[in-house]
Amino acid sequence: MTLSHSINSIRQKIVEDAKTPKGYVALSVLAIALLAPAIFGGYLFEIVLQMVVFVLVVASWNLIAGYFGVFSFAHAALFGVGGYIAAILAGTYGIHPVATIVIGGGGAAIASLIIAPMILRLGGSYVAMATLAYAEILYLLVYVLDDITGGAMGYIEHPALFDGNMIPLYYFALAIVLLNLAVLYVLLRSRFGLIGRAIREEEDAAKMLGNNTDRYKVYAFVLSSAMAGTAGGIHAFNIRIFSPSMMAIEMMIEFMAMAVIGGIGTSLGPVVGVIAVLGFSEFFRSFGEIRLLLWGLLLMFTIMFFPGGLAGSSVQQDLLRDQAGKLRSAFGSQSAQDEHSSKEQ
Amino acid sequence: MVSLDLILQQLANGILFGGQIALIAVGLTLIWGVMDVLNFAHGSMLMIGGYIGLYTIQATESLILAAILATVGVFVLGVITDQVLIQRLKEREDAEITLILGTFGLAITLEHGVSVLLGSSQLAFPSLFEGVWEIGSITLGKTRVYLFVVALITILLLFTLIRFTKIGFAIRAVSQDANTAKLMGVNTDRIYSITFGLGAALAGLSGMLIAPVYNVYPAVGWQPFLLAFIVVIIGGLGSVRGTLLAALATGVFRSLSLTWFSSQATLIFMFGAMIFVLIFLPNGFAEVIE
Repeated sequence: MTLSHSINSIRQKIVEDAKTPKGYVALSVLAIALLAPAIFGGYLFEIVLQMVVFVLVVASWNLIAGYFGVFSFAHAALFGVGGYIAAILAGTYGIHPVATIVIGGGGAAIASLIIAPMILRLGGSYVAMATLAYAEILYLLVYVLDDITGGAMGYIEHPALFDGNMIPLYYFALAIVLLNLAVLYVLLRSRFGLIGRAIREEEDAAKMLGNNTDRYKVYAFVLSSAMAGTAGGIHAFNIRIFSPSMMAIEMMIEFMAMAVIGGIGTSLGPVVGVIAVLGFSEFFRSFGEIRLLLWGLLLMFTIMFFPGGLAGSSVQQDLLRDQAGKLRSAFGSQSAQDEHSSKEQ
Repeated sequence: MVSLDLILQQLANGILFGGQIALIAVGLTLIWGVMDVLNFAHGSMLMIGGYIGLYTIQATESLILAAILATVGVFVLGVITDQVLIQRLKEREDAEITLILGTFGLAITLEHGVSVLLGSSQLAFPSLFEGVWEIGSITLGKTRVYLFVVALITILLLFTLIRFTKIGFAIRAVSQDANTAKLMGVNTDRIYSITFGLGAALAGLSGMLIAPVYNVYPAVGWQPFLLAFIVVIIGGLGSVRGTLLAALATGVFRSLSLTWFSSQATLIFMFGAMIFVLIFLPNGFAEVIE
């Protein structure tokens, strides 16, 4: 396949995708994102900026978990690695922040490359366990190296980007995130994405067709780690104090919940998930602890009844109906009749 | 210099600690071995056991009743969890991922549900037994020793249950080959529920047993869960014997390492060992033993 041919086919796919209902949603979200500084003010604007950054992490996790079926627990930690590298290089060593964000992404890629080739050969759940252990190691290293990282108090010595002016920072972040999303979009619609989905569905079959699946998984893992690290770098300059809680397991759960609620393995999922979860969190902020309870319930509910997430395919109506039938049979006499009729439909 | 006495003391502490972690880890490994489910809500079930134990003791001042209620209460919670959540997710094609996320969701729900209902402050558990024993230069807190003994007896009971009773026989059958067991007339769904309940019940009991050391609060389960998680992997997922050995070894290693290194560095070594085992000895210690 020549280059011009593949560019053409991707252009066609973009046009096709843009004409679907989801394409309209994506375009309107993009329009709102571009106009955000004019629409939102103050605190709300900070939330939007945070959403932009989180979309990149969640999309990076979605690449490896949603398309390649590799369930990584390490992405919050790698997000943190990128953030710490960027903040420390800019703060302690005086390197230009924009350069440190790129280096942070590279650092996260290297941190993932250390274990990727070895652990990606393990099967499903074992990858989750190994990455969880690795994530804990990276998290604990922040405490062990507290001379450099500032330990539990967090790192605060990095300078502000764009003299602390939020609007250029916002467009800078948005540009980087959109660039990364564009790369993801193109990759996932090329052979790379096809092989990823083949690995997710049936790795042995993909291997039998002559694909070096281990190598593709490593590529995808390292690429998605680099993206998570880049997001971490931007986040460090956004929140100005980078603490270990940014890379704790709770953060990972939050990213996963965003991906799952939005729709794992869909290109729009991360965007929808981040907006839904962060928006939901902010809406219920004054409710304190109840917010987190609702959040856990929402995660369970989504997994049980909407496996495709908000942006995914249709609601699994049969599951809901099945559940309603069970409830009814628990409550009384009509049950048998109802269940019978629901099966006939 | 570190004296020999200190090392002996740390060895004793490590063994006692290992016994407690073993009880948590055995529940985790039982669920994995039979059902292929890694229960990330194990720590929050432990937390629930701690609360049940604490409130029972405050109401009745009976230690035995508290232990029984913590075990039975969390057993019921486990059975409900299996019926409502696990069995539904187990049938999915992407069961591995959905089970991890589902049990995680449950963990968050339980933790913050308790937080909302009962508050998030640390509640002190009454010290069960006052005093220490001194053997040579080593001092052993009575509470810790009794808890160790209770943990060992419980694990022994579990062994007996699995080896000699009809239910245990069915559990082993399902664990080896669920389809064949089903053909032989075993109600596999019920065995899964019982197994999940048993594993959870062990967590519930441990939650009460470790409460005098860790106190009781909504997030109390995470640290013991992570330790049990390491132990289960190093011991070999699904192997009760490997888990026991790994628990004692991990307990001793932890105590000794804490003599020289910070708690964070100690955990790094342990997680490092866990990754090493996952890569080079996928079946853990169990492979080496058998």
